[in-house]
Amino acid sequence: MSDVFDKCSNWKDYRIAKATGLYPYFRVIEASHGATEVEIEGKRVIMVGSNNYLGLSADPRVKEAAIKATEKFGTTCSGSRLLNGTLSLHEELEAKLAKFLNREAALVISTGFQTNLALASILGRHDIVFSDRQNHASLVDGIRLSFSTERKFRHNDMDHLEQLLAQAKPEAGKIIITDGVFSMEGDVCNLPRIVELAKQYNARVMTDDAHAMGVLGEKGRGTSEYFGLEKETDLVMGTFSKSFASLGGVLAGPFDVINYMRHNSRSVIFSASMTPGSIAAALKSLEIIEAEPQRRARLLDIAEKMHNGFRAMGFDTGVSVTPVVPVHIGDQVKCFRFWRALHEAGVFANPVIPPAVEAGHALIRTSYMATHTDAQLDRVLDTFETIGRKLGVIPGTRPTVYEPVQIARPASAVRSNKASEKWAAGSAGLLADKGGITFEQLSKMSSREVAGKIFDAVEQLTWRAANLQPEDLRQLKAAPMKLWEKRGELPGLLLEKGAHFFLRNGTGTDGNPADRI
Amino acid sequence: MALPAEPPTPPTSSPPLPSDVQVTPVRDAAAKMTFIRFPASLYAGDPNWVPPLEMERKDFLDPKKNPFFDYAEVELFLARRGRDVVGRIAAIRNPRHLEIHGTKEGFFGLFECVNDAGIARALLETAGTWLKSRGMDTMLGPANFSSNQDWGLLVDGFDTPPAIMMPYNPTYYPALLEACGLSKAKDLFAFELSASAQPPEKVVRIAEKMRQREGVTVRAVNLKDFPAEVERIRSIYNSAWEKNWGFVPFTDKEFDHLAKDMKTIVRPELVLIAEVKGEAVAFSMTLPDGNQAIKAANGRLTTFGLPIGLAKLVLASRRINRLRLITLGIKEGYRRRGLDAILYLDTLRTAHRLGYAGGEISWTLEDNHLVNRAIESMGGQRSKVYRVYQRPL
Repeated sequence: MSDVFDKCSNWKDYRIAKATGLYPYFRVIEASHGATEVEIEGKRVIMVGSNNYLGLSADPRVKEAAIKATEKFGTTCSGSRLLNGTLSLHEELEAKLAKFLNREAALVISTGFQTNLALASILGRHDIVFSDRQNHASLVDGIRLSFSTERKFRHNDMDHLEQLLAQAKPEAGKIIITDGVFSMEGDVCNLPRIVELAKQYNARVMTDDAHAMGVLGEKGRGTSEYFGLEKETDLVMGTFSKSFASLGGVLAGPFDVINYMRHNSRSVIFSASMTPGSIAAALKSLEIIEAEPQRRARLLDIAEKMHNGFRAMGFDTGVSVTPVVPVHIGDQVKCFRFWRALHEAGVFANPVIPPAVEAGHALIRTSYMATHTDAQLDRVLDTFETIGRKLGVIPGTRPTVYEPVQIARPASAVRSNKASEKWAAGSAGLLADKGGITFEQLSKMSSREVAGKIFDAVEQLTWRAANLQPEDLRQLKAAPMKLWEKRGELPGLLLEKGAHFFLRNGTGTDGNPADRI
Repeated sequence: MALPAEPPTPPTSSPPLPSDVQVTPVRDAAAKMTFIRFPASLYAGDPNWVPPLEMERKDFLDPKKNPFFDYAEVELFLARRGRDVVGRIAAIRNPRHLEIHGTKEGFFGLFECVNDAGIARALLETAGTWLKSRGMDTMLGPANFSSNQDWGLLVDGFDTPPAIMMPYNPTYYPALLEACGLSKAKDLFAFELSASAQPPEKVVRIAEKMRQREGVTVRAVNLKDFPAEVERIRSIYNSAWEKNWGFVPFTDKEFDHLAKDMKTIVRPELVLIAEVKGEAVAFSMTLPDGNQAIKAANGRLTTFGLPIGLAKLVLASRRINRLRLITLGIKEGYRRRGLDAILYLDTLRTAHRLGYAGGEISWTLEDNHLVNRAIESMGGQRSKVYRVYQRPL
């Protein structure tokens, strides 16, 4: 007989991470100093792990608006939009957002996650949804909650999308749903081609602009504005927890569609509405976003500075063209160690490990605010360089050349940077097989196969030994010295190897590939 | 570099593609191992086949170890019928070749196939499609992976095993490739020479006269001064070969890698450098025919974890009695002065002194008449012909 709770008590990953001091989640922030620096365990650290792109959460005007609204309407609406939870503020925000986004109508929903769940109501039994494999978890769940058929295409792979569209029944309703800016790797969807394909195959297009609204485009309206394809994009989704310094989400599009969702989406009608404080903060932020384009320009300048800063040191920031700057580490445990060292040196960033990224492509995700000062940014860069060298992620000396980033500035239509071969190969799944075997695989092999594996290993060792060159021998002789020099690093290295062993043989790697922040 | 003027004729009737054969790219370590091990079953029982060391092949196909992968793009394919592997091929896009020759020639290589024209066609079509999608208009091969390594298909001289770093294949391969619409692009020759035969009087006379008149001194390579010697040879090599058909200069990393590999098998007495007034102007490199030793190991250094193959290899390597003169290069401006004759002669004398029975001089281009005539005048007999095939895509 099995117990529902068994999987919880058998779950090792958390305990291993806790025991080794490499547990990076649910960190408690005790105070905020203008959002760019926060206090954790009594220590001030620079925050480069938030999505507060324009730095508005600390803006006095936004704070004051939230306070005033709370004073006027109270702390909550105590009910759903459908019944008692609609304030004049909700209507005002919807009207202003519809105007801002050039859409017939807009609908605000209590959280960004719920906003994507609301999609379930319009995706019917005979509809087919084409979604990017790296779409945000809320989109994955929204589609899963519907009765539609889902067809996932490989990340930004337009040939694959076309193939799937061509295979679909011509009479079925179709919609292509993609993140505008992908949250972990910072690249932008290929909207021009998506729109072309949508026309060809008679499909609707929706973009999730959670990370793009307020960041991309001349006016900050997101991916579709950036590509000049607003008319061709049928539905746009955005969140208030990023550039809008609040909490909640918005869907904007044709009146009929928005009205239908307003009355049929369970995440709207069965959830308490946005609190007065949140709406007022979002309203004020919208005002500032429209009035102060210099914030966006500053944000993109910062993004460019950081990308190039990292690349000059020899780091790989992959395909990103946005203020989401992923720093490629590779090994998962090394990534945790890197994060730990960053934390100790006073930098708050987030480790991203499989399944959120491909195996072997663990990264430190950094993201920036328009309000970061140059001094703060330089400190972040210096810290990364020191740790990167110490942990062997980057070479001891800076490379002579690097490829500068191309940032997604208004009217530039850059989609992604030329990624390193390593990274590109990883996305193509070429590096998936590392040649190692786990206990589980081993236990499934016959004794003959096991013996074969062992003999192969002996063969390999013999070959290496037979090929030893004088310089290799010299290096071997120097190995004890090197080890001694690195003795400070030894516990960390052992940890890496040990944790590897457990992680490879343990469970907990079968999560949803779309489990992203 | 221009190809022969006449365009190859497209196939009149190609063999039908078998419906039950699947050609798939090699994407994981297990498939790569299958790719490496396939020839062992194909050549079982062939007395002239030299099984390559598995580990050597593994390193060769490892992008981290083989510097060719630093610039070139390679995809390996396996053909399977049900669960049986029936063929393999590599498709190669070599940007340095494209840049230097200004053509759109892609390569295929590591070709092995059972005697079935349909399967051969499936493999070649797959490689062709891969190359075509990368903008190539002609496919050349087999090349493993470039003209700096071994290339060409053995079309004549199946009676003896191949010399070190020369290809070998079953007798039915030429017919297979021709059935798939491939035609000759160029032939490469190998010559056989006995070390005990006296070199012709005339050649000796000319060589000695040249030696006197030009002040040529010939010395053996000095392994203690390895990096500097490699540097000298590199400069001669790249200058001597630049106008050859199909030649692409080594990258520095490739040359160093090759030099490192050679260092383990080379006999320094047989690597000769000719100097005029202290400047190195020509060199020749002759290697003991390691294939004689590698053959003894039968592909593996260990059996059941015991170094049986290694022991056999070491023992057999003491009994190597053949050589391969692998390169001879003369700097521009010193050609046609008999330097080649001096190097051939000194190599022959040293080989005789060291007790080698003879060996092979390979490979030379069929239309490099100057070199071919010089070898023949030394008493070389043409022993093998290798063919590079081509096909428009």
